[in-house]
Amino acid sequence: MRRHVRAIVGVAAVAALALTGCGRESGGGEEQAESVAAGKATGEITVWAMGAEGEKLGAFAKEFTAANPDAKVNVTAVPWDAAHQKIASAIAAKQTPDASMIGTTWQGEFAKTGALDPTPMDLIAKDAYFPGAWDTTVVDNTAYSVPWYVETRVIFYRKDLAAKAGITKPPASWDELKALAKAMQSGGAKWGINLQPGKTGSWQSVMPFAWSNGAQLADGGKYTFDSPEMVEALRYYQSYFTENLAPKELAEGALIPAFVRGDIAAFLSGPWQVSLLKEQGGAGFEDKFAVAPMPMRKSATSFIGGSNLAVFKDAKNRDGAWKFLQWLSRPEVQVKWYQATTDLPAVQSAWQDAALSGDANLKVFGEQLKDAKAPPTFPTWEQVAAVVDTEVEKLAKSGADPAAAAKTIQDKANAIGTGS
Amino acid sequence: MPSVRAAETVTVLDVKPAAPPSASGPDPERRARRWRRAVTGWTFAAPFTVLFVVFMALPVLASLAMSVTDLRSTDLRNPFAVNFVGLDNYARLFGDELFVKAAVNTLIFVVIGVPLTMVVALAAASALNSGLIRFRAVFRVGFYLPVVTSIVAIAVVWRFLLDPDAGLIDNLLRVIGIDGPDWLGDTRTSLPSLIVMATWRNFGFLMVIFLAGLQGIPQDLYEAATLDGASRWQQFRNVTVPLLRPTLLFGAVITGIGFLQLFEEPFVMTQGGPLSSTLSVSYHIYNQFGFGNYGYAAAAGYVLFVAIVALSVLQFRLLGERD
Amino acid sequence: MATVTEIRTRPRDRAATITLYAILIAGLLVVVGPFVWMALASVKPESEIRQVPPTWLPETWTLDNFRELFTRLDFPLYFMNSALVAVLITAGNLLFCSLLGYALAKLDFPGRKALFLVVLGMLMVPGMVTFVPQFVLVSNLGLANSYAGLVLPFLAGPFGVFLMRQFLRSIPDELIEAARVDGAGEWRIFWRVVLPLCRPALATLGILTFLSSWNNFLWPLVVATTEDRYTLPVALALYSIGQNRTDFGLLLAGAVVVVLPVLIVFLVLQRHFLRGIATTGLK
Repeated sequence: MRRHVRAIVGVAAVAALALTGCGRESGGGEEQAESVAAGKATGEITVWAMGAEGEKLGAFAKEFTAANPDAKVNVTAVPWDAAHQKIASAIAAKQTPDASMIGTTWQGEFAKTGALDPTPMDLIAKDAYFPGAWDTTVVDNTAYSVPWYVETRVIFYRKDLAAKAGITKPPASWDELKALAKAMQSGGAKWGINLQPGKTGSWQSVMPFAWSNGAQLADGGKYTFDSPEMVEALRYYQSYFTENLAPKELAEGALIPAFVRGDIAAFLSGPWQVSLLKEQGGAGFEDKFAVAPMPMRKSATSFIGGSNLAVFKDAKNRDGAWKFLQWLSRPEVQVKWYQATTDLPAVQSAWQDAALSGDANLKVFGEQLKDAKAPPTFPTWEQVAAVVDTEVEKLAKSGADPAAAAKTIQDKANAIGTGS
Repeated sequence: MPSVRAAETVTVLDVKPAAPPSASGPDPERRARRWRRAVTGWTFAAPFTVLFVVFMALPVLASLAMSVTDLRSTDLRNPFAVNFVGLDNYARLFGDELFVKAAVNTLIFVVIGVPLTMVVALAAASALNSGLIRFRAVFRVGFYLPVVTSIVAIAVVWRFLLDPDAGLIDNLLRVIGIDGPDWLGDTRTSLPSLIVMATWRNFGFLMVIFLAGLQGIPQDLYEAATLDGASRWQQFRNVTVPLLRPTLLFGAVITGIGFLQLFEEPFVMTQGGPLSSTLSVSYHIYNQFGFGNYGYAAAAGYVLFVAIVALSVLQFRLLGERD
Repeated sequence: MATVTEIRTRPRDRAATITLYAILIAGLLVVVGPFVWMALASVKPESEIRQVPPTWLPETWTLDNFRELFTRLDFPLYFMNSALVAVLITAGNLLFCSLLGYALAKLDFPGRKALFLVVLGMLMVPGMVTFVPQFVLVSNLGLANSYAGLVLPFLAGPFGVFLMRQFLRSIPDELIEAARVDGAGEWRIFWRVVLPLCRPALATLGILTFLSSWNNFLWPLVVATTEDRYTLPVALALYSIGQNRTDFGLLLAGAVVVVLPVLIVFLVLQRHFLRGIATTGLK
């Protein structure tokens, strides 16, 4: 027994000594990007992409290899489910590919690991992209990836039900939006509008209202949730639930069927719903609904999301990877990508193409993208977002006080810190 | 059980003579035997132990070390460049209201769910083993199905069952005049609903194990008991349960471990809601890992480990062998 | 097949039998319901699957989901990967866990108790906690994106050891002593005497191990860096779960196909439970 005790103490001592040698270095901050060699891409380029993009990118990249015959693009499709875990684990084990698709809200965390290569500014033109999209790539004043495709949130509403209620213009202010919901509900819809009542991702529905009211999520390296503008926005969001205009609970997958039936007359969501509506609405349904930008308050700001593409520091073929990403950012390639996948281009000039400018619904998205913001790229954003979601759930379902909610979010965000 | 069908036949001449007491005393003989036993034992244990030490023990040590640092996902490339924080993570856990809520939820889950699952599984296994039922294979496969069915399919059907407007259960209750609650949306009924669902899902697993154990109980014991005039219930209490003890212990420990680590059901059905009423400790840990708080999450994981150990010790006390 | 005990038909028994049947059948319906729904849903079109309230019998029958499953995915590849990995892990566990379980149950050697406690303790460590360190270790051993990386960490499962040890304790020592006296070596005793008596436990362990390795999702996802090492659950998630929408039809068709091998293994092995009855009746 004594032998065992001595052994345990010995191991513990060694471990303690080893740990005292640890310690985080302070510093970090801006990084300088290295430039990329000129000329065509060569060698094998390994890329990870999630979901449908992963499926299609391999075939899509053939044009790139046609233009760069010495290069070969190897795409590994990764499931969205647990993709974040996969990339984090790959970083930990230094098993990263050359480049990968990254969700915009993961950017801060992955950049802070030091695993991402700063964007070479001689290769990539910042102004080509929507400003909100570019902001999602910037961490500590350095850009670490390139926007690939974007999405934003707008109001979908049944224009036939609105017309029946006497409203023929899209809602242009907060009051008009409320009036629209009320009118359509009196006209027979069960619910005037659907707004996500808490749970994961509800912050993406709430923040547009906050931003439109002038609220900011962060200022000078700190979270700033507790502001009168935020409280006002939260109160407005809550009013839809207290006035029984929005359902407090909606089963997954139930939104579109309900919208098609007319049970829900409007909702706030993103471009992927367009194809879902076409599928499930049947013939002629496109004429029954319309898309409107966020209503104006101090501004008409929405949320911008999407995916970026990043190159890893441990990449075996850094130059080739950046050249591939540059190719994907060309306006004509962005348009072709839209045609292959319906992913909205992150490059502004791509929107001038007829494929996008000719569609009435898409035009609204294109306009909204010009005034759309993203959350701060702090590594702790996901955790703070979860706090926001919890408070929003309380607001929607149990009528909590918006001022108290904002204060709680601020306190918890302070406790969590920005992680920078 | 037929006697040893060993290929070796025994003849008197084959029997080794007993070891004569050596002149130098019994100790060297005993030490030699002990050495032989050690070699045999460790040879049998070797393959498992080697794999185990490499692939399980080392990662456990690493994660233990992780739990006493402030390692975050942003440190993953330089895991040694972190600060040693001692038991700070552990202390913070108990002030974290979400963790405390999750702990309470999980406790309720285990206290109700484990006995419930064991009773249902034992009942099903006994029924199938009782000799009264034909088509046992059908029932065996059927009861095992929830264990193998995709959680997605299970979630869809159960969500429909529990839906307050269109769901089967509330409609049945309406027939007898009761206005059923919003099972998954009401914070008071969400956890009990998940307990029932988890029991339903997992009892097949236990049933399979109990069946194996029940097979090991010799039939003549039951025959003797019947001759003595014992009823089925008495036979169950006095023959089955005592002899099933090792299996019951195993079942209790495994189910306890499973329920303490409950994750899939709240993850798919309610996402921990409404208002964290179905948040389990495992789910909380999963979220923390997702946020990148690796050191903190590891600490929470080891608190859960301590709980699991404590529960198992309790179960060993209650159901363990009497030797 | 050997029959079970004679079914005595005392009147009390008949009432008990009927009640039992009633309860069991009701239970069976409740239990089998979602599986039946899942199977039926896999032949419905996507819009009908999403309908609320859900329908039972398909209004429209379609094999599109299965067609998509077999054409969009390189199904044979993923199936073979899953099968190879699951079979190897099951075989490994059956062998190594019974070896150690026997040693812990019947052999006396120094450190036995400590080893059992350590193994048992490992069973109680939540899997999530060791996930990243395990992956870093496997990568540093050069096993990332390899079959070895998919199999080795699971070859030695504490669950199997616990199960085998508990079961083996019930084998009478006299049997083993008699074999020792007969001059049989330890390995022979294990292989010829003890193991054949373990069929129910081995069958159970086989089923459970096969099930968990077949359905394992997160580890194969993280270990594989190219698609040709994906297992079936990973491939299914890839093609059916999108960022904003889930292709339920494909997911459920996949779920049906994924369940079938497990059921087959179950049906094949569960007969050993029955055969176990013929060998009960010690002494």
